[in-house]
Order: sequence, then structure tokens, then C-alpha cells
Amino acid sequence: MPALQTENVTAGYGKTPIINEISVDAEVGRITTIIGPNGAGKSTFAKTLVGILKPMAGRILVNDVDITRMPGHQIPRHGLAYVPQNDNVFKRMSVRENLEIGGFVKKGDPAARIEELFEIFPDLAKAHAKKAGLLSGGQQNLLAIARALMANPSVIVLDEPTAGLSPAYTSVVWEQIARIAQLDTAVVVVEQNVERALKHSDLVHIFVAGRDHVHGPAQEISALDLPSIFLGRSHSSEAA
Amino acid sequence: MTYYIFTLVFFLFDYFILAMGLNIQYGSTGILNFAYIGFVAVGAYVTGVAAMPANVTGEHYILGLGLPFPLNTLLGGVAAMGLAGLVALITLRRLRTDYLAIVLISLSLVFYDFCNNDVSLFNGADGLYNVPEPLTRALGLSSNGFIIFFACLTGVVSLLMWLVMSRIMRAPLGRTFRAVRDDHVTAAALGKDTFRMQLKSMLIGSFFAGIGGGLLIQFGGSFNPTAWLPGETFVVFAVLIVGGAGNNMGMFVGALLVETLLVHLPAFLPDIPGHPGLIEYFDLALVGLVLMVMLWFRPQGIVPERVRRTPSFGVSEKPEHEAGRLDRTTALAAALGAVEPAAGAEEGR
Ligand SMILES: Nc1ncnc2c1ncn2[C@@H]1O[C@H](COP(=O)(O)OP(=O)(O)OP(=O)(O)O)[C@@H](O)[C@H]1O
Ligand SMILES: [Mg+2]
Repeated sequence: MPALQTENVTAGYGKTPIINEISVDAEVGRITTIIGPNGAGKSTFAKTLVGILKPMAGRILVNDVDITRMPGHQIPRHGLAYVPQNDNVFKRMSVRENLEIGGFVKKGDPAARIEELFEIFPDLAKAHAKKAGLLSGGQQNLLAIARALMANPSVIVLDEPTAGLSPAYTSVVWEQIARIAQLDTAVVVVEQNVERALKHSDLVHIFVAGRDHVHGPAQEISALDLPSIFLGRSHSSEAA
Repeated sequence: MTYYIFTLVFFLFDYFILAMGLNIQYGSTGILNFAYIGFVAVGAYVTGVAAMPANVTGEHYILGLGLPFPLNTLLGGVAAMGLAGLVALITLRRLRTDYLAIVLISLSLVFYDFCNNDVSLFNGADGLYNVPEPLTRALGLSSNGFIIFFACLTGVVSLLMWLVMSRIMRAPLGRTFRAVRDDHVTAAALGKDTFRMQLKSMLIGSFFAGIGGGLLIQFGGSFNPTAWLPGETFVVFAVLIVGGAGNNMGMFVGALLVETLLVHLPAFLPDIPGHPGLIEYFDLALVGLVLMVMLWFRPQGIVPERVRRTPSFGVSEKPEHEAGRLDRTTALAAALGAVEPAAGAEEGR
């Protein structure tokens, strides 16, 4: 059973649906990536997964628990964590405090978990007392990821964790993402950079205009005529 | 002379308490509570009617419990909390930031008019007077002795409340307040019930407002609508901004500079011949000016919020408080700019 299941999810802002009948599953140990042109609805889908937006139709399950109608703040308790697209850290709080905020699910002192994460993210350990707003963009993204990991989630949703990063730092972040997948986590990544996405992920979904245009294993997706799909010229439906 | 000095001392400590209450709401949680003085008033009135006996000729009011200090004051604090709970339930679920501020200021105006005109609740425009001076008889104090005693008592109360508030702000609860303030969507995505956090912050802050109000009415022996013109809220905001939002010690510094030195000290100066009351008007304009200068040149206040430091890894950092301050304070500056002139100039407290 996939750790995350979505069945025909339709959602949007107000009354107009932005994403239509999306079904994406994510399994532990694998990286499922969503790519697509700007405005395709990738972030909208991520926000719906984590309860910031409520679906108009469809179901979302985490470890077989239906979270579709759950108040957003209760969802993390069921093992789903989220890293927002931009501005994703509490800028006026220290690195350590940012992590502490993420650590509520584990009862007791978050200090031990913080030390574990500092081993995975040595950059953050060095800057632990710094204001998060003073970190570089890449470090802020890593902090947001680490903060999401505080709760030891079984599914982590990352919205463009490499946006605006230098190529070198993009590799660092992707390395970390690969590592997270190995820590018994299902990883869902929204990514702009198609090449990176295809290189690092197991499964790829291409969203176009609010629909899951095509999906399949990364190798099969690589073989498609991606530029046409991105420009909305192709009508193929499924590669798998 | 002693009378003047200890009056100033009283206002210093009382506004320290008031500013700490507003600080947890605005400084820590980002709730622009432009109705703050309303909660102070509830605390004052309820403390008054809790302290006064059931029947006093010429005054109409509810309760009249004849409760001694500190029970009456605690009741005032709890009443302010109760009102805050009600207001929060109505407003906080749907509104944030500027919109919330506008609704809160409207509510406080409605509440003000109500208290000013309805005689049965707290004696309308005349307000409450002849409120018993706590412990005077038990200690056999003269009227000057009472001023000294009560100023010191307020100092002790403010110290206790400061200890409690520092604990709250350092605790995980205070940290979560700040997370909600900085980004409520992300805080919710991390499992924080942002409504409950804001509700808690409103309740705690309003308790402080209520206690501060309760001390105020007992110090002066009376309280009426001229004591809590809605513009008074901005004096507390001035204390908070000058002192440094987010920092409790800043609240003390702000209370000293704004409330004691700017607002109250000049009232004791002799009038300029031929221009009675002129000094007081200048005084309010000066508070507005100081506020603008602070927001422009040092929006983080005299004692800025500090990044909480936890010793580990032997890494030490210099405190850094320049970044990231401006957006919130600019929003506030804009809001204050819209309200301050009316609050300061026309009401002439
Ligand atoms: N808060 C909002 N309110 C209303 N409409 C929105 C909101 N956010 C996004 N939209 C609309 O929803 C559509 C999808 O936006 P979304 O942010 O999901 O795209 P995306 O695929 O993440 O794009 P990008 O690659 O630029 O991040 C867009 O047409 C956008 O205008
Ligand atoms: Mg997006």
C-alpha cells in the first residue's frame, strides 16, 4: 500500500477548480516528482495534499487514514509533512527554534532529534543560533526540509525545494532528498527543472493546465517529447 | 513632591503591566489589537464594582460585591479575559492583520459608546467613583501613605507578572506564538492550531490588561470614559514600539520613557500663562512624533527582540536584529498613520 494515495482530487481557490481529478500515489523509499509548466497547478496540488486547501472532490489517504476533511493542523500527526515553495522558514527565529517548532509530534524533548538532523545537515548545525532569515536561500530550504523531518513523517511533500538555488546547491539539496527517501519516507517533489527531476526521481507526473497529463517511471517519461507536452501541443495520455 | 514621584512610579509599573499584555498579543503573536484599552477598561470597571459595596447613593452599577484586594483585581483580570475570549471567537477565525485591527477598533468604539451611555452597567459617563482604597484601613495609611504603598504594591505585582510572562515567552507556547506571527500557514502545516494559539495569546494579554486596569481604578479611586478614550490604545502601542516589540524588558523601558516621562511628567509642569492645557496637547503631539521617529529610524525599538539562544556546539553568535523587522512595523505605521491624529489631537485627554 502506498503511504500517500490521492484519488481523483479536484481543488482550487474559492469555487473555481484549478486541479482536476488528480490521482497520485507515493511509496516509501521512492521519489515521486511532479513537473509541469508555470501555473499548471503543482503548488495547488501540494497545498491540497497538506490541507491548506480543501478538495472539492476526491480523497486523500496517508497510511490508509483518510485526511481529506481533516483540519489542516491535525494532518501532520498522521505522518504528512510539507515544505512550502518560497519563504518557508520562520525568518525571525533561530535555526534551532525553527526545528523545535517542527518537533511537536514526537513527545518529549526535541533536542535529540535536532542533533540527529544536525548530523544530516551539518550546515545547519554550524548556524544553529543564527536567525533563519540570515541564511542563504539554499540553507533556508534545507532548514525547511529539516524542520519537516523533525516529526519523522512517512510522507514529505516538497514544493520546489531547489527554486532559485545555484547548480551546486541544487545538487546538495537533491542528494538530501535521495537520502530522505532512504529513511523510509515517501517523497513527493514539485520541481521546475525537468532534467533534474528525471535524473533523480522514480516516478514522474507531468501536470498541464490542472490535469495529470502523463505519468510513469522516469525513464519512460524521458523518452517522450517533453517540449511539446510543456507547450500543450501533445495529447498523449499515459506512458506506463 | 512625594505624591508626584509615587504617582509617576505607579504609572511606570502599571503601564509596564499593560505593555507586557499588548506585547504578547502584538509583539509575540502579531495580533493588532487596536481595542486593547477596552480590555483595560473592563478590568478597571469590574474591579471597581467588585470592590464597591452593593448600594451607594448616586451611583448605578452591577455586582457591588465588596470584595477585598486582590480578589477584586483578579476578578477584573478574569473579566477582561472573558471579553477577550468572546471577541476572539467572533473575529479571529476569519480575520487577520489589518482587517482584524479595523474590526477590533470598531468593536472598541461600540463598547465605548455603550459604557458611556448606559448608566446601569458602570454608571455611564460619570463612571465609578469612591472606589475603596485597598488595605488603607487595615494598615492605617494616610492618603499620601496610600499613594506610596500602592505604587510599591503595583511594583511588586508587575514584577510577579513579569516573571510569569518571561516564562510564557520562553516556553514552547511563546515560541509557537512567534511562529504563528511569522507565518500562520506554515505554522498550521507544522501542526499548530493557529486559531487556538491566537486565542490563548488574546486571553493571556487581556488578563494583563485587566489587572493593569484594576490597579488603575484603585489607585485613582475612580474611573470613567474619559480615562479610556480609544486613542489611549495608541499610547500603549507607543510604549511597546519605543521599548521594542517582542521584548519584555523593552516594555519597562518604553513605560519609563513614554508613559512616565512623556505622558505624565509634563502634566505636573506649571501651565504656560494664558494657555492652560497647552502643555498637555503638545505632549500628545510629542508622543505621536516620537512614535514616527522610532518607526522610521529604529523600528525594532530601544530594546529589540532577541533571537533565543540555546547553548550547544559552543558556537556563539552576535545578536542580530536588523533584518526582517520592517514589514510588520511598516504595516503598523500605516495603520497608525491613519488613526493617530484623531486619537491624539481631538480627544485631548
Ligand atoms: N492564492 C491563489 N488564489 C487564486 N488563484 C491562485 C492562487 N494561487 C495560485 N492560483 C492560480 O492557480 C493556478 C495554478 O497555480 P500554482 O501555483 O498551483 O501553479 P504551479 O504549477 O505551482 O506554478 P509554478 O511553477 O509557477 O510554481 C494559477 O493559474 C494561479 O493563478
Ligand atoms: Mg508552484
